[in-house]
Amino acid sequence: MTAGDLFLQQAINGLSLGAMYSLLALGFTLVYGIMELINFAHFNVFMVGSMIAMLVLQAFGLSGQQTILTGLPLVGVLLVGFVVSMVGCGLIGVFIERFLLRPLRNVKGPAAMITTIGVSYILFNVVLLTLGTDSKNFPNPLPPIKWEIGGAVLRMREVLIWGIALVLMGGLTYFVTYTKLGKAMRATAQDPEAARMMGVEVDKVVMSAFFLGSALAGASGMIFGLYYNLAKVDIGFAAGLRAFTAAVLGGIGNVPGAMLGGVLIGLIESGSGQVIGAAWTDVVIFGILVLVLVFRPAGLLGRLAPNKS
Amino acid sequence: MNAIATAHPSAALTHQQRSLLLATLAFIFFTLLPQFWDNDGDLDSLANAMSYATLALGLNIVVGFAGLLDLGYAAFFAIGAYYYGIFTSFQVMPPWSESWAPLATIGLVEKINQGGPDLVHFTLSFWIALPTGGLVAALFGVLFGLPVLRLRGDYLAIVTLGFGEIVQICARNLDWLTNGAAGLNGVQGPKLFGYRFGVHAEPYYYVGLVLVAFLVFVSFRLRGSRIGRAWMAIREDETAASAMGVNLVHYKLLAFAMGAAFAGMTGVFFIAKLQTATPEMFNSAVSSMLLVMVVLGGMGSVWGVVIGAVLLQMMQTWFLPQMSVWLHDIGKMTGSPMLQNVDMVQWTQLIFGVILVLMMLFRREGLVPAVRKVAPLTMEQQTAHVVRGGFQGLDKIGRWTPGTGVALDIKDVVVKFGGLVALNKVSLQVPEGGVVAVIGPNGSGKSTLFNVITGLVAADSGSITFQGVELLGLAPHQVLENGVARTFQNIRLFANLTVLENVLIGEHARLTTGPFGAVIRPPSVVKEESRATEWAMNIIALFGNRLTPRWDQPVTALSYANRRRVEIARAIASRPKILLLDEPTAGMNPAESLELAEQIKSLHDLGLTILLIEHKLDVVTRLADNVIVLDHGDKIAEGLPDVVRKDEEVLRAYLGRAGGH
Repeated sequence: MTAGDLFLQQAINGLSLGAMYSLLALGFTLVYGIMELINFAHFNVFMVGSMIAMLVLQAFGLSGQQTILTGLPLVGVLLVGFVVSMVGCGLIGVFIERFLLRPLRNVKGPAAMITTIGVSYILFNVVLLTLGTDSKNFPNPLPPIKWEIGGAVLRMREVLIWGIALVLMGGLTYFVTYTKLGKAMRATAQDPEAARMMGVEVDKVVMSAFFLGSALAGASGMIFGLYYNLAKVDIGFAAGLRAFTAAVLGGIGNVPGAMLGGVLIGLIESGSGQVIGAAWTDVVIFGILVLVLVFRPAGLLGRLAPNKS
Repeated sequence: MNAIATAHPSAALTHQQRSLLLATLAFIFFTLLPQFWDNDGDLDSLANAMSYATLALGLNIVVGFAGLLDLGYAAFFAIGAYYYGIFTSFQVMPPWSESWAPLATIGLVEKINQGGPDLVHFTLSFWIALPTGGLVAALFGVLFGLPVLRLRGDYLAIVTLGFGEIVQICARNLDWLTNGAAGLNGVQGPKLFGYRFGVHAEPYYYVGLVLVAFLVFVSFRLRGSRIGRAWMAIREDETAASAMGVNLVHYKLLAFAMGAAFAGMTGVFFIAKLQTATPEMFNSAVSSMLLVMVVLGGMGSVWGVVIGAVLLQMMQTWFLPQMSVWLHDIGKMTGSPMLQNVDMVQWTQLIFGVILVLMMLFRREGLVPAVRKVAPLTMEQQTAHVVRGGFQGLDKIGRWTPGTGVALDIKDVVVKFGGLVALNKVSLQVPEGGVVAVIGPNGSGKSTLFNVITGLVAADSGSITFQGVELLGLAPHQVLENGVARTFQNIRLFANLTVLENVLIGEHARLTTGPFGAVIRPPSVVKEESRATEWAMNIIALFGNRLTPRWDQPVTALSYANRRRVEIARAIASRPKILLLDEPTAGMNPAESLELAEQIKSLHDLGLTILLIEHKLDVVTRLADNVIVLDHGDKIAEGLPDVVRKDEEVLRAYLGRAGGH
């Protein structure tokens, strides 16, 4: 491989990772934008999404990479996989919001954040105790179609991941821009007090943010499985930290920012893996997080959520 | 002191004495324990419990006292541990040269030969490593805290989480330094006067006990000092803390460093005991367990976190294994293979998560709350000696001797928020010893004016000098140090602290006790504290029976009007040269408003310069020498109260109509 091919290959890999991080970052940004809360449960909602997707695919009789589907069965299986993991994660998000966070809505201090940390442990350990710690073979029914571009390889799974991410992000953008609930969400992020006075039902807005964010984490979890062909109980931490960094990099509370940040982080990860070594990727990502927070806390596109003090 | 008033601070000793007595008894009990409980395994797990207790005490300083959520605290534990491990094992051995000889003579290194050239073997003594390990960890605390402590609290949580992970990644991958995942081997145990600690638990148990006792002592000393009050003020309300003279960055760093030092010392102890160090000992599960210990025991509660640490350690080493055994027995009796194979220890982390969620939902203050419940006042105490009119006991707080000329000089100050001009070239002067009132409709820029004077909001242009010192560009605590104290429109007291503690924080900038003084408490510090308390009580007593009987109550238990009074008392406690009062009578009934107006007047009579934002015109007329009127960020009128009241433009702005009916 020439340097140019290598670069192209890492760009392809990076875009796929970026698609995954973007979807995950949106969940952080939606919740932070509206409640100024870092939702640590999100890390493991993502992991649970990946597990749900795996169980759904296994329920269709798929295991590992032996069974290849094409045409309508492939579309059907993938669609069911995405819908079930997204709805499942969305409902987990709604449960967390309704029963564990809403009672703490008006409590000052770190109580809500500590609760999300607790929920994160619970999700992690429930999966650990039921499915175990071993790395699982995530079923992948995609046909092994690939295109060679110079020395780089573009596989069908990457095209599929990009397509799905684009559809979901386009849908979300349409939702927050044009629908009534989406506008209410943006209004609440700007000024919850004023939004309430204008008749916005804040409870409904917060709950929808949790549903949407968690559902996107579910989709992201399925993408993780399709990309790496594995599911594991401890995938939440690294992916979550990268996605959070992506949200901050793009400007937390900012929907297009999270998408942009996700793609950038994906590219940075594949690039630094190539240059510095994969063991140090977390250090690079974390360094970026600190640098952005210190020197440009508003992120690249500016944060939409005002500073509520 | 009024006989009706509840106990004066000095009487609170009874509570302190009681807890001191309990502590002494507990210490004696644990000292004697190995004499009648000679089970090495149990002593070993108790020694481990003590390590976790010291870690929890350190985390409690960061999370409980200063309110900084640190999710990567185990990193400092690892730093202390590897510091000791590397400097006592055979991991890092630079080639020997004669320049090492001086260190060899004091026993820090020795020359060894493993076939080949001579090498340096580090032989750092445990007793030197213990304090210096604390220092090294504290240094790292400052290093990592410096960039991130300026961030909002919630970002800090995720950054510390990442930081904890990075230290672990380094421990795993820097093979030459840490021997990677395999871990350091051959770490030396401590020696004392030739006695080798070896592998028996008992000597470590005693070191652990002394360490816990020492750190409990340090925690209590800090908590009850100027340092602890500054931390708690930051925890309760950063903005108000900085406006009352607390240097936020300085005190956050101090908390971070102090917590890190506790962890570093524990790391040295832990590794000396285990004589090996692997990256897994310091993973995020340890950070999370420590957080659970602090949350379970009670954030900010010293005894609470010790008890939380011991309970969780007992749960892991005794209760859960025991429960597995019981479940296995039940499984055998009922013939259930599922119960026979259950291993409850695997449930530990799940239980941690459940504890965090349940504590936050149902008992946020923890098992042993840091804030004591105080009995409400009796009817008799509430109604006795209600005094109307000016302040009582003013003679106790001394006089101000204002100079002549202009005290506060504001020139052409412009403040913009995005496209909105909040203050448009506003100029005003407050003469020494004068009372100037600022009035104007809502949104006219009055509170922004106060915020820009006190450094909470940056000005786009203009200048603000107080007694010749430029205030623009100073941090809020520096503004206060220059003698400018304020109150807030929407009261910003330190909610979980008592009336006395709130007022004492007002004195922060006028006191000098540092962390070492706070712990050692030499006579000078004792004297400063007792003077500070006396001064605070005198200021509280200014409000007569309103506040004095309530000095020991948390401010959340006070009425709205009393909270306003505490805020004014807190501001006066800082010995200001000018007092900025932002709508001091808001929410008070007419009688209370006039009472407060009289009190402000008596402060003015003592010579204090006052700048006042006020809506109630009768209060303004009664107090002010000069009135400034703001509207939409512009100064539209200035003059004597009676003149301003009749000004056409003022009436239009304020009342929405032309004057004169």
